[in-house]
Amino acid sequence: MGFVVTSLIFAVVGVIASFGAGICCNRGPSTNLLHLTLIITATVCCWTMWAIVYLAQLNPLIVPVLSEGE
Amino acid sequence: MEYIDNMPSMDLMRSEKMTFVQLIIPAESAHRAVTYLGQLGLLQFRDLNAEKSPFQRTFVNQVKRCVEMSRKLRYFKDQMHKAGLLLPPLPASQPDIELEEIEIQLAEHEHELIEMNANSEKLRQSYNELLEFKMVLQKASGFLVSSSSHTTDREVELDENVYSNDNHADTASLLEQEMRSELSNQSGVRFISGIICTSKVLQFERILFRATRGNMLFNQAVADEEILDPSSNEMVEKIVFVVFFSGEQARTKILKICEAFGANCYPVPEDTTKRRQITQEVLSRLSELETTLDAGLLHRDKALTSIGYHLTKWINMVKTQKAVYDTLNMLNFDVTKKCLVGEGWCPIFAKTKIQEALQRATFDSSSQVGIIFHVMDAVESPPTYFRTNGFTNAFQEIVDAYGVAKYQEANPAVYTIVTFPFLFAVMFGDWGHGICLLLGALVLIARESKLSSQKLGSFMEMLFGGRYVLLLMSIFSIYCGLIYNEFFSVPFHIFGDSAYKCQDATCSNAQTVGLIKYKDPYPFGVDPSWRGSRSELPFLNSLKMKMSILLGVAQMNLGIIISYFNAHFFSSSLDIKYQFVPQVIFLNSLFGYLSILIVVKWCTGSQADLYHVMIYMFLSPFEALGENRLFWGQSVLQVVLLLLALIAVPWMLFPKPFILKRLHMERFQGRTYGILGTSEMMSIDDEPDSARERAEEFNFSEVFVHQMIHSIEFVLGAVSNTASYLRLWALSLAHSELSTVFYEKVLLLAWGYDNIIIRLVGLAVFAFATAFILLMMETLSAFLHALRLHWVEFQNKFYHGDGYKFNPFSFALLADDDD
Repeated sequence: MGFVVTSLIFAVVGVIASFGAGICCNRGPSTNLLHLTLIITATVCCWTMWAIVYLAQLNPLIVPVLSEGE
Repeated sequence: MEYIDNMPSMDLMRSEKMTFVQLIIPAESAHRAVTYLGQLGLLQFRDLNAEKSPFQRTFVNQVKRCVEMSRKLRYFKDQMHKAGLLLPPLPASQPDIELEEIEIQLAEHEHELIEMNANSEKLRQSYNELLEFKMVLQKASGFLVSSSSHTTDREVELDENVYSNDNHADTASLLEQEMRSELSNQSGVRFISGIICTSKVLQFERILFRATRGNMLFNQAVADEEILDPSSNEMVEKIVFVVFFSGEQARTKILKICEAFGANCYPVPEDTTKRRQITQEVLSRLSELETTLDAGLLHRDKALTSIGYHLTKWINMVKTQKAVYDTLNMLNFDVTKKCLVGEGWCPIFAKTKIQEALQRATFDSSSQVGIIFHVMDAVESPPTYFRTNGFTNAFQEIVDAYGVAKYQEANPAVYTIVTFPFLFAVMFGDWGHGICLLLGALVLIARESKLSSQKLGSFMEMLFGGRYVLLLMSIFSIYCGLIYNEFFSVPFHIFGDSAYKCQDATCSNAQTVGLIKYKDPYPFGVDPSWRGSRSELPFLNSLKMKMSILLGVAQMNLGIIISYFNAHFFSSSLDIKYQFVPQVIFLNSLFGYLSILIVVKWCTGSQADLYHVMIYMFLSPFEALGENRLFWGQSVLQVVLLLLALIAVPWMLFPKPFILKRLHMERFQGRTYGILGTSEMMSIDDEPDSARERAEEFNFSEVFVHQMIHSIEFVLGAVSNTASYLRLWALSLAHSELSTVFYEKVLLLAWGYDNIIIRLVGLAVFAFATAFILLMMETLSAFLHALRLHWVEFQNKFYHGDGYKFNPFSFALLADDDD
């Protein structure tokens, strides 16, 4: 699906989650900021993980060599 | 920067603002005021009488009374425990009782209990003695039957005696003759009967033999029942013995030896009828004693139960009162001896609540004078206080375990809430195991209310306290497991087909040359074709090592950026210019560059050897790159970055100490004129509130050495910490391999057989191995390593951690030291 498209999906999910947390667990500005920080951090971590694994497989230098019996 | 300053502050990021307060309490409302403050739990008292010993303090008598009462309460609890009674749960509401009333009741109950225990001790002792006497009578009658009613028939006698005394054959004949001749003679052959422990009987016999020079006859028989030994509280086997001897000296010797060995002697009458009489008496007395003992036990249990009804409440009351008096001991009497003066720390938001509580105390104790509560300046640094809820508390404790944050420095817990479970998951990644952990965490959370009121073992308590950490860890593990494509080490094709297929339709060279990539990479995670192939490990190792470096550089950069925000908060431009900037330059020109190279290599598919590039960047920076060239201008860029890194080292080492020295000179130059206009200059320095402490001393060599250590630590740490992140790769590899081994070598092997028993056994072994090794051991291992990465590699970029925790006087936080 392409790198850019999936990254956009991650960003959109992050934004939706932030708004969702702001709407349903609205407990004052300080707590809202904390929730926002946590959601942004989690989104960035998850996207990083996905992006690393995706980029590593874009132009691989080796290919799977099956072992006996497959 | 103004945008950042105008954002609402995050409470968890920096400690609550604390203020130092002074209380002046009139004596009559002191006790009540301290009690209400304890219920509120937001004021930390400072001990004004720290140099006094406990016996010199004002309220030492009350404290002694409380200690005595708690001793009695512990005694009751002990007794109840020994009697096997359970403490009933605390009833919902009970009327308040005064401390003096409790004291009187406790004294009464203790007296009663001690008396009952003493009585039952005595009864038990007599019971034991009677029991022993009964056994002696039973067995000794067997020995004495032969010696009493036989006047004639000496051969029969002899035979009988020889039969029963075969180990004293020689002595028996001589003694028997003596016995026969002086049968009715009272001062002739006599006997002592008694009972002794089985373990001592051999020695006993030997010493008796030696003491009487062989002129004695020893008969023994094992008692039917075991007897309770009062000293060791166990049932021991005893042996009934009868010693026949003659002469007064022998008698005294034997009695002394009996005493020494702890053998109890009981007189057994020779006459059979008398013996029978006495046996009857003993039996009836024994049954009487038994009923008495049972009645006594019942009475004591009833008394204990009635105590137990109130026990928990009394224990709590005494604990709180002792805490109140201990706190009152921390206050000082003022000059007029009518008021108590106290000092302490409290958060600024709690000031109104405290004032309210103090007003209530004044009102309730009908005092004429109000309590004075005002803010003061303090010399020392305030304690650190984070308001956490049940969720953030666990993460804050993880951070505090390494060191409590300095007052108002950035709290790493904010990021740790997400990055700690994330790094755990990178090392644990398997969505099957993640689901198991998730189920465990959900069970703990669902039974939260029930488990929090119970008393748990230490392991369960830790597990329960970390239930939210476990929840996050499991959710991230499921995510990382989906990315690594491992479900108990089995890959799935959840996100579509694999991107690899055979080169031709016959798959003839799939095992030599391998598959080819014919479309875009697998959209989410690791391609399932890799699992089981021969080139799986080289590919995954390369992927995971590079991933570790990228994650590590990212987290370290986050740490350095947090140090920037710390410096900005404390308005220390010195730190920004001469610490933050060179640190960022050094780390990123070397390892940030490596990260960029990794990403570029992935994107372009170049075959450059990154080890070679990095090492020769240092060894021969002006040499041509040749086939290791990844992009245009790389050589120039590398030289520039190398120079930047080289400049950054003295940049972070030298300027700061010299500038600090210059500032110090400027500030205290006109010391004879007093300290003028120091407010602007003091804001430049690091710690405004402790600068006043360092007024006189500025030890340049100390500051310089400190800066040198800090710089060397950073420079060397940049390399070692980056390498340390490779543990993410190592543990994830170990987890994956263990999981593969258990799956292939246990489950698949067992499933290969057709026999259902072997299959079940294989399944059971697989389940046990997964549960204990992978779920418990690996979880602990990954937890520990993620923790280390946070404590050392992340936090040493910005965290000082030399503060102390806010410890308010609160009844809710009183330690439960009984258990």
